[in-house]
Order: sequence, then structure tokens, then C-alpha cells
Amino acid sequence: MERSFKITASEGIHARPATLLVSSATPYKADVQLTYNNKSVNLKSIMGVMAQGIPAGAIVTISAEGPDEAELLNKVEEVMVTQGLGEKC
Amino acid sequence: MLSRLFNKRKLQILAPVKGDMLSLEQVPDPVFSEKMMGDGVAIMPEDGGIHSPIEGKVILIADTKHAIGIRANDGTEILIHVGLETVSLQGKGFETLVKMGDSVSIGQPLIEVDWNFIKENAASIITPIIITNSAEKQIEHQPIQTCIPGKTVLMTVTPK
Repeated sequence: MERSFKITASEGIHARPATLLVSSATPYKADVQLTYNNKSVNLKSIMGVMAQGIPAGAIVTISAEGPDEAELLNKVEEVMVTQGLGEKC
Repeated sequence: MLSRLFNKRKLQILAPVKGDMLSLEQVPDPVFSEKMMGDGVAIMPEDGGIHSPIEGKVILIADTKHAIGIRANDGTEILIHVGLETVSLQGKGFETLVKMGDSVSIGQPLIEVDWNFIKENAASIITPIIITNSAEKQIEHQPIQTCIPGKTVLMTVTPK
């Protein structure tokens, strides 16, 4: 399953936002990818997520597959919204 | 069994910049001090540019030129974050000398930095050096000391 977000963090997904997103996804078993500009990276890799260079206003898709995929996506959405990183779209 | 032990080669992470070594706990930013990004150390730079701490490949250069990531041949990923809150400088004060995908050698210059500009315009020039996939590794810290880029060993990394 997947969910799309519009990034609202004013400086995009740099070190702090990337760390928050990766920390939110890492405890779950499901495999999870972040796709931006047709390029997918592992959402459990800080370096991978930072290397995407995602700017403010970008649309990203997070897709998870595994036994706890729904919980993972809910947690990622919660962190996106409460930390002011992005909004569901 | 024995040969497996001997194959566990240590990777040395060398200082990327001249200055005094600090522990990550001394970095006034919880993303680094609480090791949320991974284990590592920090340096309070004195002068000179950022040099490669390992032999490897450039896997990340921020558009804003304030952070660079390098992957060693053994898979260890190292992020050098030049200064704190430096993303907001939008690249000013930095000049990158390499690009994504470049192979780099130990001590090779990676980024030129105008430290005076960073001091005046960002939160700090403290530069954290983080092993972003440290959960998969065993990290051994070296004693706190004054660092010479490409010479002083900061940490050694072995597979778990």
C-alpha cells in the first residue's frame, strides 16, 4: 500500500527531516520505499533519503509492503504532519 | 572460523578537517547529539577545507553544498555535515570539488569552506561526522585529540 505527501518543510528533506522520517519507519518490519521524481530509495536509509534532495513543494510517494505496512504508513504520516514536514495529498 | 575472523577488516575513518575533536554529545543539536542519525564524532574546525575521510564513492552532495556522503568499499556510509543549521545558507560559503558518483581517495579535497562566513551566518561551524548505517557496524572511537585531515584516525569500523 502507498500514500502520497506534499513536502511543506521550508528547506526540503535535509538532515533533520530525513532523520525523523527514517526513525519513524525503521522499527517496522515492512519494506518501505520513498519515491520522488521516478527514483525510489529505502526509507530506512538516511543517506538514501537525503541523496534524493527533495525540495519544499515536492510530491513524494511512500510505499510499504509487509505485515505491518498499515501501521508503518500511519506512523510516517503522523511524523510528517506533527513535525511540519509534509501533508497528505 | 579463523579465516572468517581475519577477514573482518577494520575500516579507519580519518579526520576530514583540521581542528579539535569533540564527542557527538557535545554537539548542540539533538539530531546529532542523541545519535539519531548514527554514531560518530564531531570536529570544531580551525581552517582548511573538507577532505575525504575514507576511500570510497560520493553518494550524496546536498544541493546546498553543506553536506556530503561517502560510501566505503565495505558498505560503511559516512555523512559529513559542515556546520549546524547550514542548510539555510543555500550553498553560500561552500564550494564543492567533487560530484555524485565520483570515486575519492583518502585526504582528497571535497569541499572548500569560508569558515568566517559560516561563523557569522549559521548556528555553528561544528562539523559532525556520522556513520549513518552504524547499527550494522561495530564502532571503536579513538581518543579525543587535535585532528590533521587525512592523518588522524577518528574511528575504526568493523562489521558486526
